[in-house]
Amino acid sequence: MWQAVTSLLAHLVSADNPLWLYYPLCLVVAVVYKATKFDEPKAIARAALHFFVSVTLGMLALAVVFYLIARFL
Amino acid sequence: MTTPGAEPRSPVVALVLGWVLPGAGHAYGGRWGKAALFFLCITGLVVAGLVVSGGTVLLYKVPEQGTGVTSGSHLRLWYAAQFCAGGPALALTPVSQYIASRGPIDWADPLHEMGTLYTAVAGFLNLLVMMDAYTRLAFPQPPEDEEEDG
Repeated sequence: MWQAVTSLLAHLVSADNPLWLYYPLCLVVAVVYKATKFDEPKAIARAALHFFVSVTLGMLALAVVFYLIARFL
Repeated sequence: MTTPGAEPRSPVVALVLGWVLPGAGHAYGGRWGKAALFFLCITGLVVAGLVVSGGTVLLYKVPEQGTGVTSGSHLRLWYAAQFCAGGPALALTPVSQYIASRGPIDWADPLHEMGTLYTAVAGFLNLLVMMDAYTRLAFPQPPEDEEEDG
């Protein structure tokens, strides 16, 4: 199973993967969304970073789960 | 931010200005920093989507040289989202339509899909920003979850 997970991660970090374009998109969504919630630049930056990391890790966890299901079931 | 004694500003005007130019609703309300941030983020997303896709994502009708893989109603659904990005999307639509008419489009290209997603998300974000500009003028109180900083 770990081999499957590492092969997925290797695919995700390969340079020709268009999913790299997900990161700027998620970052912009995080900044704009949190800028409507907070006024102070520091608060916006902190909340946007937290949002970005949470969403990215959540998506990564979902990707691993779906990949394992598709691979082994 | 409104200063005491300043002329009251119309939330509806902020809403309309926010559609014409992303962030303009906040500039109208005196929040110039946020206005610049929203303009850069949303317009940047529209332009980036166009660049990534080769300029063929802001389409309201299937180009004559279209491959027929996609339908007009499918395109219009995406365009409805992109349209919410306001002035920049509207201004770039003829350019995109022209580029698309010059040759076949690979609708299944991941970069084309990503460009479509970028521009559609820009539209949804601008809706959020327009609503924020409207709400701040219509109901001028600080948000409940505002953090005290420093």
